[in-house]
Amino acid sequence: MEREESPILKPATLDERRKYYREEWDVKEIPEFIRESVLKREFGFDHMGRGPNDRYRVFRSADLLRKFLRYRAPFAAYSSVAFYDKPRRRDGWIKSELVFDVDAKDIPLRMCGCEGVCEICLNQAREIVCSLMDTLKGDLGLNDIHVVYSGRGYHIRVLDESVMKMDSDVRAQIVKYIIGAEVPHNEYAEEGVTYNLEHFSIPFGYPHVFTLRAKYSILHLSEAIQMEGVNQKLVKDAIKHQELIKNDEWGIFRNKIGPIRYQRLMNGIASLNMGLVDAKVSIDLKRILRLPSSLHSMVSMKSMEVKNIENFDPFEDAVPRFVYERKD
Amino acid sequence: MVRVAFINPFSEEGRQMVRELGNIKSLYEENAHLINLVNRSRSQDISDEGSIPHNHIDMALKRLEWYMKKKNDPSFDYRKYAYLLDPEITKFDVIAFYLLSQAIGVKFGPNSRESRAMVESQGKLMESRLGELFKSEKRVLVAQILNSLLMDEVKWTFFEDLLSSKKIKLPDLIIDQGNIILNKEDFMESFSSKIKHRDPDKMYNLLVGDHIKELIMTKMIMQKTENYISTVYEKSRREVEPNPLLLELAEEISKILSETTMSYGYGGSYGGEVKASPLNPKAFPPCVKTVLEGIKSGGRNDAIILFLTPFLSYARLYPDVFRRNVTMKVSDVDPQLKVVENEILPLVYGAAERCSPPLFEDQPQEKVNINAKMGFGMHTQIELKHEGETTWYTPMSCEKVKLHLPSLCKPDETCKKIGNPLSYYIRKLREIKGDEDGSED
Repeated sequence: MEREESPILKPATLDERRKYYREEWDVKEIPEFIRESVLKREFGFDHMGRGPNDRYRVFRSADLLRKFLRYRAPFAAYSSVAFYDKPRRRDGWIKSELVFDVDAKDIPLRMCGCEGVCEICLNQAREIVCSLMDTLKGDLGLNDIHVVYSGRGYHIRVLDESVMKMDSDVRAQIVKYIIGAEVPHNEYAEEGVTYNLEHFSIPFGYPHVFTLRAKYSILHLSEAIQMEGVNQKLVKDAIKHQELIKNDEWGIFRNKIGPIRYQRLMNGIASLNMGLVDAKVSIDLKRILRLPSSLHSMVSMKSMEVKNIENFDPFEDAVPRFVYERKD
Repeated sequence: MVRVAFINPFSEEGRQMVRELGNIKSLYEENAHLINLVNRSRSQDISDEGSIPHNHIDMALKRLEWYMKKKNDPSFDYRKYAYLLDPEITKFDVIAFYLLSQAIGVKFGPNSRESRAMVESQGKLMESRLGELFKSEKRVLVAQILNSLLMDEVKWTFFEDLLSSKKIKLPDLIIDQGNIILNKEDFMESFSSKIKHRDPDKMYNLLVGDHIKELIMTKMIMQKTENYISTVYEKSRREVEPNPLLLELAEEISKILSETTMSYGYGGSYGGEVKASPLNPKAFPPCVKTVLEGIKSGGRNDAIILFLTPFLSYARLYPDVFRRNVTMKVSDVDPQLKVVENEILPLVYGAAERCSPPLFEDQPQEKVNINAKMGFGMHTQIELKHEGETTWYTPMSCEKVKLHLPSLCKPDETCKKIGNPLSYYIRKLREIKGDEDGSED
């Protein structure tokens, strides 16, 4: 049965936006990593709910940005992931945050079947974020990582200097690594002899990342899922043996499925994994992203920096006061 | 013991060999020492005088010719180039390396097919030379070279250039806490407690061992070659006229590449030139067909502007772009822009109209971006006077399509053989032509 969307998730009126920015919002809620670089960033605004058409805005201080938001109460506010010498012209690119966009409405294998977003898919998005962060920290050794709740999902924003100057091609490789977009090799050679080692028997490096993502996918499979090169029978069989994956009994699972069909299933999962994040956001060096602390007017939720992702509940923590004061 | 410079021409030893070269005029002079070394090389075929280099310039050209023939000529005879794998040749080889890189740098720059061939040839040569060595000798040599190229602790971010140029893929590396694991001690410290039911030593040998070290070393030297060509190119733009000898050598290099391309096709592609001709929708790949039907969900802009416009314009006007690797303008092929107006734009606009909602209904400004992607600047009309203000975008690769527009990628059998939708189109065109020729017979 399809779940209904939460009643909170309906658009904010102009009056509600004004109330939010004038009575509830505080400029200090803009994370420090943005406030301290206001001068170098481009800002964009959507005043009418038709997309961010008011671009190339710059502010000489966080206080001027505060006044603008208070007075204009925009439908949506954005800031660039890029730092520029001349942000008004998007000229003199210095560096960009490395960003991963996990949108609850676009993730593969949603358990809810809702039209937009709901508690269930938002929670799934949160789980995915936790897992991606583990890889960013544990494998890639990145530390300056901020998670922002966007209103319909999460942005992971990495500000480690070592990655901020990287071009789109390197970013594409990072995305593919952390989401498990390719099935790892299973043949390794030593002195002319080839050995077969499946990803699940290698508890480190990329094969391990892929195993974690594949485990998540198999445990969230439903019969309705369409996977490239995977027929319904194979999906059904994978679901039937889910318990084995839960217990990390991959070898037995592979035997039950059969090695050729297993390979086909893994290829399907790898291509499904491409949907875990919106990759074009990660490779775009000049993207603007929703400004944390601003209002996502379409769903009446606050975009906000999340300090503890493990315990974050958007329906507790990101609902503006005006929603509770609504009469209907 | 093989000298380091035999593998790494950028080593101090290699640079010293160049410094000792002396008079540049001697490069064309017959060199008895070189001829003698070549003739003495094991397995070298000395029956054909044409396969023996007589001077430094000859040696440089043979070095590149080896790669082009090895890659493309089905009747390649390794015995004609056996001396290239003989460590005795090191000094001549290093000079040949610098001559080639400098000639390519001054004349063609880093983004040319010549530069690509040079970088790839250096990679293949290193691989072949390492393959001739005993395991213990190879291990010592690789360790020695890597020590000079890397610090003790190597972060993956150190390989930014290699990752960007796709010489190395991130999943090929074993990374822990940001560090690349190369040594057995580091491997054991990081992973031995996690490895169950298997021998950690064996795991190290299989997953890291010699081959990752060799891979990193080889790719780093290839990247250094590319960077060196780029530096020479930049320098030659700022400074005085390049040495005529290098320009002359560059012409010869170009000839070798063109001859091989004409005979066998460059980059492993088969068949000859593909000329501009009316579009054949039957040959379009599945992703293009999907966009032509109109995009019903998100990603309309990217699909029409970034994906479809470059594909259709190149497929119609310059399908050979990747094979020839020469930058052209739309007007070089379509001087009156009649094809653009009467054939390409109607198809693009039609696909935009079929989107849901129609693209130009809510975003009429996107017409300007279509013009921009064909090189005509940010203007509402396509006019020759604006050509060159923006770049004529080449078609997105399949890899980019998967990242930008993952929902478009529904590969069929042909897709498995190509890396760009335009290559699909060319391949299919040939198949269709082949079928038609066959049926006429």
